[in-house]
Amino acid sequence: MTYAVSEIRSAGRRRKRRLSHAAIEPWLYLSPAIVLLVVVLLVPLIVGISYSFRKFSAFKSEYVGLGQYQAMLSDQVLGQALVNTLWWTVASLFFQFFLGLGLALLLDKPFIGRKLVQAVVFLPWAVPSFLSGLTWAWLFNPIIGPLPHWLYALGLKAEPTNILSDPATAMWGPIVANIWFGIPFFAITLLAALKSIPSELHEAAAIDGASPWQRFTKVTLPFLAPTIVITVMLRTIWIATFADLIFVMTEGGPAGSTSTVPVYIYVSAFKSLDKGYASAVAVLLLVLLIAYAVALIAIRRTLVRHV
Amino acid sequence: MASVTLQHVEKDYGSLRILHGVDLEIADGEFVVLVGPSGCGKSTLLRMIAGLEEVSGGEIRIGERLVNDVAPKDRDIAMVFQSYALYPHMDVSSNMGFSLLLKKAEKTTIDTRVGAAAKRLGLDSFLGRLPRQLSGGQRQRVAMGRAIVRDPKVFLFDEPLSNLDAKLRVHMRAEIKALHHQLKTTSVYVTHDQIEAMTMADRIVVMHDGFVQQVGHPLELYDRPSNIFVAGFIGSPGMNFLPATVSKGGKADAVLADGQKLRLPDGLPLQDGDAITVGLRPEHIQPAENGALKAEVEVVEPLGLSTQFYVRIAGQQVCVFVMGRSTIRPGDAVRLSAEPAALHLFDPMSGNRIG
Repeated sequence: MTYAVSEIRSAGRRRKRRLSHAAIEPWLYLSPAIVLLVVVLLVPLIVGISYSFRKFSAFKSEYVGLGQYQAMLSDQVLGQALVNTLWWTVASLFFQFFLGLGLALLLDKPFIGRKLVQAVVFLPWAVPSFLSGLTWAWLFNPIIGPLPHWLYALGLKAEPTNILSDPATAMWGPIVANIWFGIPFFAITLLAALKSIPSELHEAAAIDGASPWQRFTKVTLPFLAPTIVITVMLRTIWIATFADLIFVMTEGGPAGSTSTVPVYIYVSAFKSLDKGYASAVAVLLLVLLIAYAVALIAIRRTLVRHV
Repeated sequence: MASVTLQHVEKDYGSLRILHGVDLEIADGEFVVLVGPSGCGKSTLLRMIAGLEEVSGGEIRIGERLVNDVAPKDRDIAMVFQSYALYPHMDVSSNMGFSLLLKKAEKTTIDTRVGAAAKRLGLDSFLGRLPRQLSGGQRQRVAMGRAIVRDPKVFLFDEPLSNLDAKLRVHMRAEIKALHHQLKTTSVYVTHDQIEAMTMADRIVVMHDGFVQQVGHPLELYDRPSNIFVAGFIGSPGMNFLPATVSKGGKADAVLADGQKLRLPDGLPLQDGDAITVGLRPEHIQPAENGALKAEVEVVEPLGLSTQFYVRIAGQQVCVFVMGRSTIRPGDAVRLSAEPAALHLFDPMSGNRIG
C-alpha cells in the first residue's frame, strides 16, 4: 500500500490509471461469482418483475404500467388468497414448531429404542411432497381412507364425509399434511441446538436452585432462541410459498377455500394464462415476505444479545 | 459452614467400579484438595458431594445431615466448574444473582450481595457485561462470585484454573487462597496439578484408580509418602526410584544394580537379600568430592536460581537438584552422596513404604 500512496503523490495522470486499476482488480477476482449470481438470480427476478408491468394475451404483450397492481386492489379472490395464506402459514408453523420442539426434547433424553424412533421421526422429510399430498388426500377420502370414520367415531364430525370437500374445513387437510411433513425439520434443527448446550450449564442451574421448568425457560430456551428465530423465519417463507401439497390435495378448491397466494399465482399463470397478473401477485408476495424477514431479524437483534 | 463426611463412598458405572470405598472427614472451614491423575475418580467424588452423580454405596454427610438422596439445590453448596458454566445470555450481575433470584430474594438483597461479592473480586465495573465480553480470568472470577453470593456451607471447585494461562493460574491460585482465608468456608478443590494442591491445601487427598492413596498435610505427604505412587506424584521434579537389594554386613546397605552401595538408615525391618526400591528426592542427592555414588552427567538444565542435572546411576536416569549455578558439564563424571535419613524405602511388590 505504501507503494500505491507514493505513486498517488508523484504523478497526476498515472495516479488515475493506478487507482482505477486498483479499484477494478477485486471485482475481477469476484467476477465468476458475480456473473453466476446475476445470471441465475438477478436476471430471472428482473424479468419476472418486468412481466408485472405488462399484459399478456395469446400472441402479444403490451406495457400497462401499474395496471396489474391496480387490478390487484379490487381483486376479492386475491384478498381471500392472502387470508388463506396467513391461516395456512400460521397454523402449519404453530403445530410444526411446537410438535417439533416436543420431539426434539424427547429425543434429547436417552431411552430404549431412541435410534429407531429418531429414524422414524425423520422419515417424512424423505417422502416427496407430491406423494405425501396424494397419500393424505386418500386418507381423508371416506371411500378408501380411515380418517373420516375415526373423526365420526370420536364425535368430531356428524357424518364420515371428506373434510376436503367442505369449504369450511378443507384448509385443515393440507395443513395436517403439512404439519406431518414439517415436524422433522424442526425436530432435527432444534435437536442439534439442544445437543450443543453444555451439560455444565444445566448442572450449574440445578445447583443454583432452578426447577426443571426454570432450567427449560432460563437456560434451554435462551440457548435455542437464535436457532428458533432463524428456523421459524426460513420455515415461514417456505410454508408461505409452498403450493405442492395444496395443489395435489385440493387444487385450491372447493370454491377457493384453500387457494393460497402461490396457488393463485400458479392458477393465474398457467390456467388463466395471465402471466402479467401472476407476476404482479408474486411481487406482492415477495415484498410481504421480505418485510416479514426484516422484522424477524430486527426482533432477533434485540432479543438475542448473547450470540 | 459445615464439615463434610464421606463414609465408604462407592461409585459404579454398570459393572465398572470408579470409586472403591472412600472414607474422608473434612473439618469445618478446611481447604481440602483432591489430587490425582485423570481418571482417578476425583471429579466423580466431587460431583457426588455436589449431588450431580448418584451415590452407589456408602454415605455422604454435610454437617450432620445425610445428603445421599438430597437434590443439589438443597445441599447448600456452591460449585465452580472448569468451564465456569456461566449463563451466556445473562450479564455478570444476573449470573451472580441467579440463585438468589430463584430463591425469590428481595431485589435490594440481591443487589447488595452481588455488589459486595463483585467488589471483593474486583468485578464492580463489569456487572453489565455479558460473559463473552470478559477475559478468561474475569470469567473465572464471575464463577467464583456466583459461588460466594450464595454464602454456601461448602465450596466445591472442579479444576477451576485449568483453562487459564500459566501466569494467571498462579495469580488466581493465590487469590482463591486469600479468599478462603477471609471467608473460612469449607472447600473441596479438585485438581490434577500437584503444585496447585501443595500450595493451596490444608490437607491433600491423593487418589489413584478410585482408591485414596494418602491423606495429609502437604509437607507430610512430601516428607513421608506412604507408597511409591504418592512419592512419585507429589513433588516436582519428581522423586527418583532405584531398585536395590539389602545387604547386612555390619551396617545395612542398599546394593544397586551395578554393585554400588548406598548406606541405609538404622532400625528398619529389613532382612539380608530383601529386594527394595530406594526413593531419592532430587534435592537430597548432591555432588560431593568423596560421595559414595559414581555417575555420569547426561543433561544439565540451568534455571538461574537452581540447576538440574540428569545423571545415570546403575542404568537409571536420576535427577539431581542443586541450588545456584554449577560448572559441571554434560559428559562429566561426578560423585554424589545422599544422607541415609533422606532415603525413602519402598516394597517393590506392594509399593508401600518401609519404615
